[in-house]
Amino acid sequence: MRFRAKIVDLACLNHFSRVINTIAKLAKTCTLRLTVSKLYFILSDKVANGGVGMWCELNQGNFFDEFQMEGVDAEHNEIYLELMPENLSRALKTAQNANAVKMKLTNKHCPCLRVAVELPSLSSSSRIVTHDIPVGVIPRRLWNDFREPSVPDFDVSIYLPVLKTMKSVVDRMKNLSNSIMIEANLSGEMNLKIETDLVCVTTHFKDLGNPSWALEDGCQSSQDRDPESMAEARIDIRKLQQLLAGQQVNPTKALCNIVSKRVVHFILLHEDVSLQYFIPALT
Amino acid sequence: MKCVIGGAHLRGTRAAAGSDLSGLCGRNGRPRAGCLRAVRLNGHQGVCAEKGKMFGRAIHAIARISDEFWFDPLEKGLALRSVNSSRSAYAYVFFSSMFFQHYCWTALPQPRQKEKQLSPPCKVIIKSVLPVFRCVNVLERNVEKCSIYTNINDHHITFQLLCKHGVVKTYNLTFQECDPLQAVFAKHMCPNVLKVHSRLLADIVIHFPTSQEEVTLSVTPMKVCFKSYTEEDTDFSKTMLTEVQLNPDEFDYFQVGVDSEVTFCLKELRGLLAFSEATSVPVSIHFDISGNLETHTEKAGNASMDKDSSTQANASKKPQRNGKTPSAEPAKPASPLVKQERKVIPGATEGDTTGVEGTTTAHAALAGESHYEKFHSLFFGAVSCKEDAVSHTFHSLATASDSEEDFGNVPSSPVV
Repeated sequence: MRFRAKIVDLACLNHFSRVINTIAKLAKTCTLRLTVSKLYFILSDKVANGGVGMWCELNQGNFFDEFQMEGVDAEHNEIYLELMPENLSRALKTAQNANAVKMKLTNKHCPCLRVAVELPSLSSSSRIVTHDIPVGVIPRRLWNDFREPSVPDFDVSIYLPVLKTMKSVVDRMKNLSNSIMIEANLSGEMNLKIETDLVCVTTHFKDLGNPSWALEDGCQSSQDRDPESMAEARIDIRKLQQLLAGQQVNPTKALCNIVSKRVVHFILLHEDVSLQYFIPALT
Repeated sequence: MKCVIGGAHLRGTRAAAGSDLSGLCGRNGRPRAGCLRAVRLNGHQGVCAEKGKMFGRAIHAIARISDEFWFDPLEKGLALRSVNSSRSAYAYVFFSSMFFQHYCWTALPQPRQKEKQLSPPCKVIIKSVLPVFRCVNVLERNVEKCSIYTNINDHHITFQLLCKHGVVKTYNLTFQECDPLQAVFAKHMCPNVLKVHSRLLADIVIHFPTSQEEVTLSVTPMKVCFKSYTEEDTDFSKTMLTEVQLNPDEFDYFQVGVDSEVTFCLKELRGLLAFSEATSVPVSIHFDISGNLETHTEKAGNASMDKDSSTQANASKKPQRNGKTPSAEPAKPASPLVKQERKVIPGATEGDTTGVEGTTTAHAALAGESHYEKFHSLFFGAVSCKEDAVSHTFHSLATASDSEEDFGNVPSSPVV
């Protein structure tokens, strides 16, 4: 198993840092899957994670100037690591004006991802800051736990409102209630509702638009569903807030798929990063 | 203004027998008890704002060490000291009388002529003082004058801020009398000296997480390295380790007599850095293998700030000398210099070397202890920054010894 990568371009470094910051806000510990062409940050939807699932995919070519990966063996040319994204985020935080950032898998006292930041300095040689981030190597027999989740059989798929607006609404609602109801229909309408003993608050969004999904068998989804009928799910408001708080850049596309009373599946697409986030409905 | 933070096994509080307390003593050689009548920080708007700010920042820096501090008015100026609960860190800020617009110090008549009795300074809870200087920037804008009065008899210190628009804020704080506090450090005997601008130190420290408690500084003639402190039983699978490597070129002055590693408390250093950055002064670091790390900052011209950090060093196995022979033998931690007590050695400021009394450094407490314990402390000092003032002598920390026998073959030291 070998892994070495290098980022030289500051814009790429900045972009990568922002992705890591987003991941760090969503998961305390997650799995990093390395393949020849991509990096994946995965949180499998176990009970331990509160049923939340995350799948974030990056094309390594969009970030790294150098990327060398040798997996566990020739047949399974991938590496699965468990790490705390907050550590990586911290290591990159003070690297924003670096000449280069190198990452390497090492095993000195224990398996680590070594991040070496070369910073400009007044002297002849650069200042080097090294961070050793402990990682856990996930054995191949457990790789099945981290398969890409399939898009659920949703009732309604709808584009999200401007995330900043949504975030400020949810932030305020969070003070009043622990759970939030998301409901949406195929007419581009979405409501965010909270209900407590004292007060009910609903925020209505209109004209959001519904993405059309082509199913594998060629049929359009949910053609026979009443466009006004709302699909709804009550979810933990903190999880939604975390998702929205982590977004530092406006995605190119942001949508959610609601399976009534079961799960809300969020998809946030940027140019070179895609993020899927599953929040289960509260029983 | 002088600011010293230091530590590691401070002992005793009585003045060394026969110590020369020149400048601070009355005719009979004993220090005079002082009662600070009035101290005014501010005069003209522009100048005083800075000073008020600096005073406030000094309080904040000391607050990082401990919850209480010693308020010690002396004839030559005002000394603030503090020590942390484990007696491993010591802070000393000295504002010479020139720092203040008006400084009035009255000697109290000595009630008892005890041999080794220093005037008891006052101990004040920092929490009570912090609100006075809480928002240093606001202080700068709103406060026109700050006066400090003490009254030994009724145990009160009064801070009075004359603010804009005729607002007067008066803070009456009580203090407790207590034993004097001092620490000792032998700056001029340190084989390793680094001088750098405080900005550089801040840039290094920023790479460590705020939760990082201890940092190890490791030097060889070829490189300088700050890294997260680890012990043999550190769980590496759970800890993220950070290391910053620098070229000696980055330092304004670089002298490494002995390959050394010293470990110090980052929190305390941050306090120092916040203070020195405000005044934007260069920092010099003196240390040796016995674990005394002193950072000393000096402002070009009139003001200088010293920072002394005392830490435990893990003596490197293969010391290399670069020609500047250190006084301590690295291979023998239990050197003759090592004793139970620590003595003060007044160092000199950059531009003003006054007579340095010969004293001995005693690091027994550190070197004698096993390598499993760490001691850290910070010494730092700053010298008065009046525009036309001459730099004052940098008085190092002085520790008085508990027991007599240690003084047997050690020359006496001035007490600050």
